Formats: sequence, C-alpha cells, structure tokens
Amino acid sequence: MISLLDIAERTQKGRKVAEDTWNMSLFRKISELALRYEIPQYTDNTPFLNLDDTLPEKALQAGIDLLVEHGVYCITTGRVIEFTRQEVLTTIRESPPEIIIGNGKDARIMKQRRVEGTEPLNFCPGHHAPFTVDLAPLIVKNFARIPRTDFIEGFNFTEVDGHEILGAPLEAYAARRQLSWMREGVRNAGRPGLSIVFYPITTRAAVLMAAMDPVDGLRKGDGILTSVLPDEKIEHDLLATAIACEDYGLWRISGSFSMMGGFCGGVDGAIIEGIAKPLTAVLCYRAYVNYTGVENVRTVSALAIPLQPLNWARSVVNQALNRYTNVICMAWVIPTSGPGTETNLLEVSLRTIEATINGANLYAPRHSRAQMNAGQTPLEGELMVEVSDATLAAGIDRERGSEILTKLAEQLKARHPEPGFSIQECYDLVNHHPLPNYEKIYGEVKEKLSSLGLAFA
Amino acid sequence: MATDSETKEALDGLKEAILRYDAEAARKAAQIIVDRGINPVLALKEAFGETANVLHERFDSGECYLPHLVMAGDAMTAASEILESAVARDSVAAKKIVVIGTVEADLHSVGKNIVAMMLRSGGFEVHDLGVDVKSSMFISRAKETNADIIALSSLLTTTRPYQREVIEELESLGLRERFKVMVGGGPITPEWAKQIGADGYGADAMEGLEVAKRLTGLSS
Repeated sequence: MISLLDIAERTQKGRKVAEDTWNMSLFRKISELALRYEIPQYTDNTPFLNLDDTLPEKALQAGIDLLVEHGVYCITTGRVIEFTRQEVLTTIRESPPEIIIGNGKDARIMKQRRVEGTEPLNFCPGHHAPFTVDLAPLIVKNFARIPRTDFIEGFNFTEVDGHEILGAPLEAYAARRQLSWMREGVRNAGRPGLSIVFYPITTRAAVLMAAMDPVDGLRKGDGILTSVLPDEKIEHDLLATAIACEDYGLWRISGSFSMMGGFCGGVDGAIIEGIAKPLTAVLCYRAYVNYTGVENVRTVSALAIPLQPLNWARSVVNQALNRYTNVICMAWVIPTSGPGTETNLLEVSLRTIEATINGANLYAPRHSRAQMNAGQTPLEGELMVEVSDATLAAGIDRERGSEILTKLAEQLKARHPEPGFSIQECYDLVNHHPLPNYEKIYGEVKEKLSSLGLAFA
Repeated sequence: MATDSETKEALDGLKEAILRYDAEAARKAAQIIVDRGINPVLALKEAFGETANVLHERFDSGECYLPHLVMAGDAMTAASEILESAVARDSVAAKKIVVIGTVEADLHSVGKNIVAMMLRSGGFEVHDLGVDVKSSMFISRAKETNADIIALSSLLTTTRPYQREVIEELESLGLRERFKVMVGGGPITPEWAKQIGADGYGADAMEGLEVAKRLTGLSS
C-alpha cells in the first residue's frame, strides 16, 4: 500500500491547481463518471434500500476512476495528489477489514460487516458534541457505562481551567484536558482500557498531537478523528497527524460521507464521492474506519427532515464498500431534532435500521445542530443498540427493510425538526437513567417499531 | 430604439442564458441588449433580480447544486461586463462587496461555500478567503477590497471565539464602523451574534443573503 510519506511528498510535488478550478473540474469529472457507469437518478419508485445488485459494483468502479483520473487535492499546498490504478486497487485489497482497538479486557475488534449480515454491530455512543466541563467526567462515565460501547469519542467545550479556549496554546492544553477527563470517565465506568477517540479541539497539528500521552492521554489502542474534507480534499495538519499516529499506534477514523448538492452535484455524484472519500481516507490517512454515506448540504440547517433520496444513496454507498472493499463502515446518525423528543428517536431508529441492513456499524447519534449540553444523551445510543438487535432478530432483509423504512418515513415526513432539550432536562446522569417523560417516549417509540416488525428482546 | 416586445425578448434571452448556466450565451444576450439600445441598467436590475430568485428556489428545492450557482454567477459576470461597459460608470450602482471565510483553525467549508454562492448569485461581489483564515487576514482583505461586509463562518464551539476576535480587532484598529460583520455556522446562535456585537446572523444561506441585503441597504 502507498506510504503516507509518499502522500506527503506528492502534496509538495503534484500539479498546482487553484481551488476554484479543482471544485468545478471535480463536478465535471463526477458528472462524466455518472454517465459512463450509468448511475441512475432517484425516482419516486426507488426503494429506501438499494435492491439492484449490479449498481454497487458500477458505483465502486466510478469511485475508483474518480481517484485515478482526478486525484485528491491538498488545500495546504494547492497541489493535486495523483494515484495509479494499481495503487488504488492495492489499497482496496490490502487494507484490513478489522482492527483491534482499546486495551486489556476492554479491547474490542472493530470489523467490517456484510450487507444483510447477522453479526452484532460495533457501536460508539458519542460524543462529537459540546458539553460544559462541570459535566465532563460524569458525561463520559454515562456513555462508557453502556455495555455495548466499543469506543467513545471526545467532546468540545469552551473554557478550560477558567480560561476561554482561544489560540493554539490553550487549544493544545484543552486537548490534554479533554483526554484526561475521558480517561477519568472510562475509569469511573469500570472500563479503563476502553478505546478513546480524540475529538479535535481544533485541527492544528500541534493540538492534535498534544493529546498523545501514554499515561493520561491518547495511548496505543486509542484513536483520533482525521476526516477527509469535502470535495476530495486533504490538508497538511491532518496528514502530519496521521503520520505521527501511524508511528505512535493510534487508529484513525474519518468522516467520509459525501454532501449531495455540493460540488459532487446530485445524488448520482454523491454516490460516487461517497465511495471515493473513504478510499481517500485509507490512502491518505490510513483511516480504516469511516463513517460513510450521503448527506444533504442543507442537513445541518434543515427546516425539514431530510429523507429520500439520501437513504437510498447511503445504501448504495455502504453496499459497494462492504461488498468490494475492506473499509469498516459506520453510520453517523445525525437527527435534525434534539434529544428528549419522539422525532429524534424516530430519526435515530430509521437510520439505525438502514445501517444494520446495509452492513454499517453505529456511530455517535448527535443532533445536527448540537448546542452546549443539548446534543445527545446516552438514551439515543441505547436505542440504536436495541433497534439494531431487533432488526437482526427479526431477520429483516433489504426488501422488507425498505417497506418498514417507507412506513417510518411517512411518520416523519410532515414533521419539522424540534430543538429538543438539554441533557439535564431529560436524563439523570447520576443514576444513568432517562427522566420519566423521556423514558415514556422511548417506550412508545419501541412499541411503534414493534408494530412495524422489529423483534425487541 | 427597441419595441416593448423586442425589449422583452432580449431580457428573456439573458435570463434564459443565466438559468442555463451558459456564460457565452449570457454574453451574447447582453450584447443584443446593448445593440438594441435597451437601457443596460434596467437589464442588470430586472434580469439579475429575477434569475437570482429562481436560482435560490432551485437550490433550496434540490433542483440545482453548488456548481450550478458557480456557473450562473459566471454567466452573470460575463453579461454584466458587457452591460456595464455600455453605460457611464456612475449610473450603475456599485456592487456591494463581501469578504467571506471560515475562521482560524476551522476547516469546515460547505456552509461557507453555499453562502458565498448565494451572495454571488444575489448580486454581491464575493471574495472567498477559504478555510482556516486568520482574523488579521479578514481585515486586510476587507480593507484591500473596500468591502461592505465581513462574513465569518465557524463550525466548532472552540473556533467561534475567532468571530469575536475579528470584531475586537476591528474595534482596536478603529475600523468597526467601516465594515458590517455577519456570522453563521453550526454552533452559532442569534444570542452569540448579539453577545459578540455582530451586525447580523444567518441560520442558513437564504437567511444569510437576506441579512446581507439588509445590512447593505439593498432591502429594508
């Protein structure tokens, strides 16, 4: 497989291109590939989950061609990193379909799943959201206490030791504090070896690497979020971090979903970028774990809950990656409604059923516009685990899954995103239990899902 | 002098060219307007105003995407070069100028890109500085371009203080009154915008465009 040092060298020696030019040439190349491989457009009759077994392979070939014929752009140097077909194919073949994370009795295997596979899903309950530091270790403990948690990701905050976090020195210090609180939280949960993933305070290399510390910070078996940027772009701070992490022994995870409506164009283009992007993460950052799929550029500020064609597009992407590559796929479940609401739990359920059938694992359910202490509670994560188990137990295949998702989407279609509540307003962090009203909503949502055919224990 | 129907036909031609994202056709349509002696100022106002609304509706409903907004912007630029050259400079209202970027230590680009394209197709001259932009860079480019607005995007709770830093630097340089500052991004709220003394906040790109128009007196 191509080395990260080769990647670094290519970012210095590749063809120079203005970023605006790159953006538009990416659009033209993806449009050309969508025609070449006859990637279909979405119609009203398209099912929620892809049932066409010829499509994932065609989409994969289009994603490979994108990497070979257009490359990846380094925004730091303004240069194009080019790949040979052989380099891309070798990367697809040689990247591992499973990795060991964490330490001691808390070590877990993160693995690629199969489409319609029956194995339980790997699971990360959070964070990837902002919390105030007074809640920090308690919040971490609550998420780590969920038995099925395989790894836990850090969180953001605005102040550290009475200082507002502003500028690289404070960011670097905050990075170290984040990890010390994470370490304390998992210890308090009785899971000291649970793998922790550093959520970047900011993406400066100095800040990302400040978190490395075998005693209180990141140690071998832990991970770090190094995401490929939209429109097939990488940059030097994240690449430097990837190189240091490879040497130090940290695994990487990349946010590798594409953005329909961006420079990839429509849903056909988003499918192609959605496949190329995790392959880029493997090539450029050796990030074998990716949260994959397709979102809408407007998801974050959604005034309506985005459903189709995204669900179908995500299924094509995940089916292609799980069938023909070794990428370990996770589904980032980002409800447009906040915690404490039925709408949030229905959105989480819909995305979980979809992920389970498509062969993805489960990653950090978090309100798409997460505000301080209001992005998530442990309950949404617990629901994900229950829903994925119930989907597996009911033996739901793609066809039946499509029918269930269609019915579920009907319930969401007329709703508008709700802001939701802060974690203290709907969850008892001391007793690790939802407050009564939220628990009631939780029960009602499970009843609705049971009536649709899920088999809860 | 063009008849009413000739005027309508020429203006429709320009609108169609922009909505087909065709810069060459837009240039030709603009030349027809000039050749027929149609008031170029009227053409700029009418054709661009209407097409901007259509484009924003298309983007909002998912009928067109970011690259189409770029191409429509290119078509508008091509046409305006022809139209503006045909009239005395002082009779054409100068375009309002926006300097936009994502603040220091933040690499998120998508929301910023959409706002930049919306502003451009809404008739603003937009200088996109990219991502991870230092506060001093926003200010120096705003001075260089004689900008009306500095637009600051932040997607991380830990980078949003850089929005405040830009405002504070403007104040310390005695430039605060010279530029309007608008803010946006995932963790940004109207309360935050008010707290740091920003002039405007947009929850999404459409709202951002409306705020920019209001701040520059293009709408009330």
